[in-house]
Amino acid sequence: MRIRTRSCVLAGLALWGAGCQLDFAPEPAAPVVHYALGPATTAVDEAGDPVVPLHVQEHIAGSLGMLFGTPSSPRYLLTEEWVDEGFDPNWPTAAADDQGSGEFSEDELARIKADNERDFRRELAAIEAGDFDAVRIPSWMPDLEQSWRDLLAGKPAEQRDDAFKGEAKALFVDYYPTLRESAEHFRQQCVHCHGVEGGGDGPTARFLNPRPRDYRPGIFKFTAQADKSVPRRADLYTILDEGVTGTAMPSFRRLSKAELHGLVDYVRLLSIRGMVERDLVTTYLSDDALPAEAVLESYASIWSKWKGADEKKTKYDGDVPAPSPESIERGRTLFMDAATGNCFSCHGEQGRGNGASAFTTSPETGEVVPAYKDDWGNVIIPRNLRQGIFRGGRRPIDIYYRIKNGINGTPMPAAVSSMTDADIWALVHYVGSLSSQPRTRAHRSAGHAPHDATDPQQSSPGQTSSGH
Amino acid sequence: MMRLIAFLLLIAVPILGVYTFVNAQEHNWWFPPAYSTFAPDIDWLFNFIMYMVAFTFIVTEVALAWFVWQYSAKRNDKGVFTHGSHKLEMIWTAIPAVALLVIAFTQMETFAKIKFASGFPTDGPYTREKPIAEVWASQFDWRFRYPGDDGVLGTVDDLESSFEFVVPVGVNVVFHLRARDVIHSWFVPEFRLKQDALPGHTIPVWFQATKEGSYDLVCAELCGWGHYKMAGRVRVVSAQEFDAYMAELKAKWFSNGKE
Ligand code: HEC
Ligand code: HEC
Ligand SMILES: [Cu+2]
Repeated sequence: MRIRTRSCVLAGLALWGAGCQLDFAPEPAAPVVHYALGPATTAVDEAGDPVVPLHVQEHIAGSLGMLFGTPSSPRYLLTEEWVDEGFDPNWPTAAADDQGSGEFSEDELARIKADNERDFRRELAAIEAGDFDAVRIPSWMPDLEQSWRDLLAGKPAEQRDDAFKGEAKALFVDYYPTLRESAEHFRQQCVHCHGVEGGGDGPTARFLNPRPRDYRPGIFKFTAQADKSVPRRADLYTILDEGVTGTAMPSFRRLSKAELHGLVDYVRLLSIRGMVERDLVTTYLSDDALPAEAVLESYASIWSKWKGADEKKTKYDGDVPAPSPESIERGRTLFMDAATGNCFSCHGEQGRGNGASAFTTSPETGEVVPAYKDDWGNVIIPRNLRQGIFRGGRRPIDIYYRIKNGINGTPMPAAVSSMTDADIWALVHYVGSLSSQPRTRAHRSAGHAPHDATDPQQSSPGQTSSGH
Repeated sequence: MMRLIAFLLLIAVPILGVYTFVNAQEHNWWFPPAYSTFAPDIDWLFNFIMYMVAFTFIVTEVALAWFVWQYSAKRNDKGVFTHGSHKLEMIWTAIPAVALLVIAFTQMETFAKIKFASGFPTDGPYTREKPIAEVWASQFDWRFRYPGDDGVLGTVDDLESSFEFVVPVGVNVVFHLRARDVIHSWFVPEFRLKQDALPGHTIPVWFQATKEGSYDLVCAELCGWGHYKMAGRVRVVSAQEFDAYMAELKAKWFSNGKE
């Protein structure tokens, strides 16, 4: 009995002590983590030998490290041309003549600031009240934390006047994350799905269908871009803002605009890094050598694709026409016509995603299996258009982009060139009509959703893995 | 010495308990403020039940302590055998039963007002038949679908937004709650409103927000690995702001993509 009481008390004291210890223990220095090389670089042939010799792999890793840094401190290497132009993608908010890349309009910058005022309202209120110790900076903003500490250190407490308060507030209102901070934020929010290198191979990824995007090939599905071009910032921003309905990719609108833009910066860095890596492997395999100039050339040419992305945006200046019975009927005809839309061959005559070409019979097992794979090698089935779930957005213009440009990285093709805008809008209207289910009173009083019970895909919204 | 420490530790539990209770309001450990018309009723019920339980707790604990002291081995050297008391058992069955009935009857009106079809608002702009929006819960986010110009949900001109549900202040808001995949639960602590969302069912829900502001919308049903981050926001705005928001949403919806 005695012993029991004593050990209980001791255990309690020990726990308490450990708690204190945790509070005061200095943080261990984080080990330097490097981006791993992608599958194209580390591939092996049948004999098990690396396709790209190990010393070349090392060379590629070194070059990429020089161009993009590490996950804990990512940054772009400036090329000589950029220095001459005064262009620096490490500072996207700063104007080009102010040593930035000037990617934001004045309006957008104003919106970011307004949003910062909302997001940092507690910090700003604390500064206003002169309660500087109450300012808490989130863990993914180490650079802001540093600037804040420097600012405080520069002014002893009794000299902190209104001018100082103004300076302190500006720090928060003008906040825009550095690449390092966005990488940290990405690690907290996205890595478990998208992986450290953005390879779509985080620990959660294997439970998901569709799989999280692998950014490294530079292929993005839901953009307004023609010709399978790389996306614009705005496309990536929309994805983060809205999420991808019907998949595991959630909306991140709870984050501030500055944070979202920062994440866009970082996704772009990972994507460019992946594209350069693949390009270097291709160059090596064709030339059997990888001189330093080739590395810089590849870097510049891939960057120019991203810089020129704005020109690839689908141009549509007209109005968005409202659906009419005629346009829907016209859309139906196009949908069923093998020469123009040919949509039914994949999406099926009812639009249920079970068209003849979408499935085949496996020669080995005789089972009916999906016929298509996407560019990342995953099985893909055409969308069931009766569910009304549009991953790239349900707005008419979103569906217009999908039909006009196809869905990059998937078998869904771009519209044939003979199709006019009116044809595409007719298809948009027809596709919209497939999932139109006016909620009538009859449905409601029954207390049931107007679901189609015969629909096989209804029960599997394609979110969690069905384990194929 | 050890006995003393053990005793102090034991006594620390009720002292800390009472301390946190007394200071809860001041330190924001209590409920968030109540910002819907029926929230005060819910809070009243909560307090009513809590005081009832607290009273019972204290009475029974005091009785327990008294029995421990009164019938300890030191004060009694010989035990007495008893078959129990029928009368006592009747009493301690009847009292809780009555207490439960009291709770059941007291809460009925509030429950009916919030959840029964008969309690739903019928006069304002939104009713069970004509909701302001459909709220879709899915792993792991919230989406809101407002009827377009035709006033009918489920048609192509519906407007959609993710994460943020904007509603007018001081108006009875009725929405239809639906789930796409598994069971989720709508919970806005400030409104004291919780309702499960079931796949295949359309569940009408109503509330009237009394104060403009942004409130957290969380999922209150363990719905999968991402449950913890299934968050949304309800933004309560003035009537003018609401109209402006709908106009903005509509403009965005029917935009031709030009920036
Ligand atoms: C729960 C897992 C998950 C998390 C967390 C997640 N994503 Fe995704 N993400 C996905 C999935 C799944 C897709 C693919 C959707 C598809 O193919 O339809 C995707 C797609 C994307 C795309 C590509 C969209 C396109 O047009 O091709 C981008 C960009 C993206 N995510 C960025 C992010 C960023 C940035 C974060 C962190 C803020 C993040 N994701 C967090 C699962 C996730
Ligand atoms: C070769 C097969 C194929 C053909 C032909 C095809 N599609 Fe698709 N479609 C797909 C696949 C596969 C997807 C799913 C892509 C994904 O999972 O991201 C898809 C998705 C869609 C989507 C959903 C987009 C979203 O945001 O979720 C729409 C709308 C669509 N197709 C319309 C059409 C129309 C209209 C046509 C005819 C002009 C057509 N498709 C022709 C294969 C096809
Ligand atoms: Cu949930």
